[in-house]
Amino acid sequence: MPPPSSPLSRRRFLGLGAAAASGAALAACGGPAPGSSTSGGGSASLRMITPIFDRADGQKLLETLLAQFKKANPGVDVQPDYTSYGKLNEKLTTSIVGGQPYDVMLIGVGWIPPFAKKGVLGDLGTPAADLSRTYNPRVVQAGIWEGKTYARPIVLDTRLGIYRKDILSAAGITAPPKDLAELKDMAKQLTVRKGGTLQRAGVDILSNDLRQTFLPIMWAFGGDLFRDGKPAFDSPEAIDALQWMVDIVRTDKIEDYGFSSTSAVAAPLTQGRAAMAIGHNDLWRQFEEAKPELVKDDAVAGFTLAQARPAMFQGGTLATVAARSRYPQQARKLVEFLSSDQVAPQAAQQRGNIPAVLSAANSDYVRSDKLVGFAVQNLDHAFSEGGVPQWLEIRDQFKPALESALLGRTTPAKALQGLAEKAKAIMAKDS
Amino acid sequence: MSAEPLAARTRARDPLVARRLRRLALHLVLLVVSLAMVVPFVWMILTSVKTEGDLASYPPHLLPQHWRWSNYSTALSYAPFGQYSLNSAVIAVSHTALNLVLASMAGYALARVPFRGRNVLFLAVLATMMIPTYSKIVPQYLIAKGMPFFGGNDYLGRGGHGWLDSWWGLIVPGALTPFAIFLFRQFYLSLPTELEEAARIDGMSEFGIYARVMTPLVKPAIATVALLTFESSWNNFLWPLIVTTSPDKRVLQVGLSSFQQSDQNAWAYLMAGTTMATIPMVVLFLFTQRYFVQGFANAGIK
Repeated sequence: MPPPSSPLSRRRFLGLGAAAASGAALAACGGPAPGSSTSGGGSASLRMITPIFDRADGQKLLETLLAQFKKANPGVDVQPDYTSYGKLNEKLTTSIVGGQPYDVMLIGVGWIPPFAKKGVLGDLGTPAADLSRTYNPRVVQAGIWEGKTYARPIVLDTRLGIYRKDILSAAGITAPPKDLAELKDMAKQLTVRKGGTLQRAGVDILSNDLRQTFLPIMWAFGGDLFRDGKPAFDSPEAIDALQWMVDIVRTDKIEDYGFSSTSAVAAPLTQGRAAMAIGHNDLWRQFEEAKPELVKDDAVAGFTLAQARPAMFQGGTLATVAARSRYPQQARKLVEFLSSDQVAPQAAQQRGNIPAVLSAANSDYVRSDKLVGFAVQNLDHAFSEGGVPQWLEIRDQFKPALESALLGRTTPAKALQGLAEKAKAIMAKDS
Repeated sequence: MSAEPLAARTRARDPLVARRLRRLALHLVLLVVSLAMVVPFVWMILTSVKTEGDLASYPPHLLPQHWRWSNYSTALSYAPFGQYSLNSAVIAVSHTALNLVLASMAGYALARVPFRGRNVLFLAVLATMMIPTYSKIVPQYLIAKGMPFFGGNDYLGRGGHGWLDSWWGLIVPGALTPFAIFLFRQFYLSLPTELEEAARIDGMSEFGIYARVMTPLVKPAIATVALLTFESSWNNFLWPLIVTTSPDKRVLQVGLSSFQQSDQNAWAYLMAGTTMATIPMVVLFLFTQRYFVQGFANAGIK
């Protein structure tokens, strides 16, 4: 039986491809769910694209894991195509445009609605309630679109509050801030300037991607990205969140714009140039490699960002099946295998990330990495970005809007209202 | 001693002093520019032997506190760099050889062979230089996939994968560049017509005139095109990444990207890998720099 025909025109795809090239959009085409295909079990040659396992040690691990998969599924070969997250969009776009989508695609949180809407992804057929026995229910939601399950999580990553116990302790502070108001007060106290030059930021909010810093703060203030499918990131709560960030930089002078950036070789927190930070759980690896004494002395820990409610940003890598896969059943088996108790913890450890499966919560790895351990314990407070099919295009509009507020070119309210208008225009164009 | 001869001597010395001052100023400027050019390379090499602790130190140290040469061997273990380097070399050499042959022929034809529509054709060649690489990726991918009779395709380019994940797909799309055609044309235009007329009177064929008379006189163009093509091909990342799926056909730049992750970069290993990847280009430039500079000067390109 030939593969189902695509409902999306090639011209449409080329346009989307160009957007993908600028990092602003994605492209897709599709067909019915894989379950509708006649292909059953038996032999198959599956093509899989993965932005994790891309380093030599990761490739070696995946080869070992796939050998186990093949042993359990004789006749099923898997050809992995390794790429980085930076070029995943281009690889996916060209493969789909070329009519040869990968059977199994490992993609990020936030990519599911766009791909599912375009019909690229096949319904995995597992109810969310069933998955919630294996994964935290909040994590499962990232793979759901319009009530159907399109993805299963493998590894997660979080953005959370991180603090240096030694620096807080030296200032007579014995516990991390319980909410964002206290965080700001503490940060003011911990900020050190010499002759007007910032020596130590009370809190570093600039080493992390600005959008991924703003979102957990917004969620903590009680805001949402979308409500009823409409942009809600210009709500009063969201404006309060951005005002909080603006205060850190402009009003309270806790951190100067340019003090750090996402491309900094080392985070100020690692260098002792910041007392607290909103950052990636992966910072733990930097501590281990660059300042092992911090790990040895138990000088670093995480805290939840809270105000109206506790919040933590959660991203991750999810396994999906192409709607047009010629081997849907085998592809689904591979997705189940990759997101299983057997594989997910190893994948997470290889990248310094968080295993998605609940069963790994007490593993040696989770216990040894304090930030991963903290994130696992607080997954109930996790929020994921995305939620609308146009998210990949909308998300790129955040940084300039947030920057304009942080640089004082506009007010937080105007910055977010302008951002919401842009988002509405993108959504209207695509509808 | 009278004042007159002294003044005369001073006047005589003035141009000499002024010339020396001008040269001094020129050398100072060149020194600053050279330093600005070389600092990133020095920084790259020094970073490549630093430890994570060194990298995280603040203020940063110029020289490593502990010289960790093992970064190079560790970097090599991140990916199969031997295979990747070989692949890059094969592709870069193929691109260079094909571009030299094809672009010099095209440039010669556009410069020295009168035919109807020559200028329009040349403008069309120039126009292709204006198309951004990213906008060509998807169409190029579709052409490679739909190549008839390759990779299981039928005569209409259907049913298989064409040139995808093949050496054809890696080499052919970059084998001829419009810039090389333009450069060769400019050089052939600068040669005196008497040379080809004399050769023609002596009964030499058009191909003989191109190959044995004119082309040996454009060595700077050959060196320039060779170096630029090799450099561009050696550094190509996106197309080899997209057109290949098998690890055994990946290139060096794809290997280097394994040091860059969305969360954190392995800076020391990235710099070690980049240093190793840069060496062939530096060696090539050292051998061809005289022709290279001459080539750019003659073509009027800055």
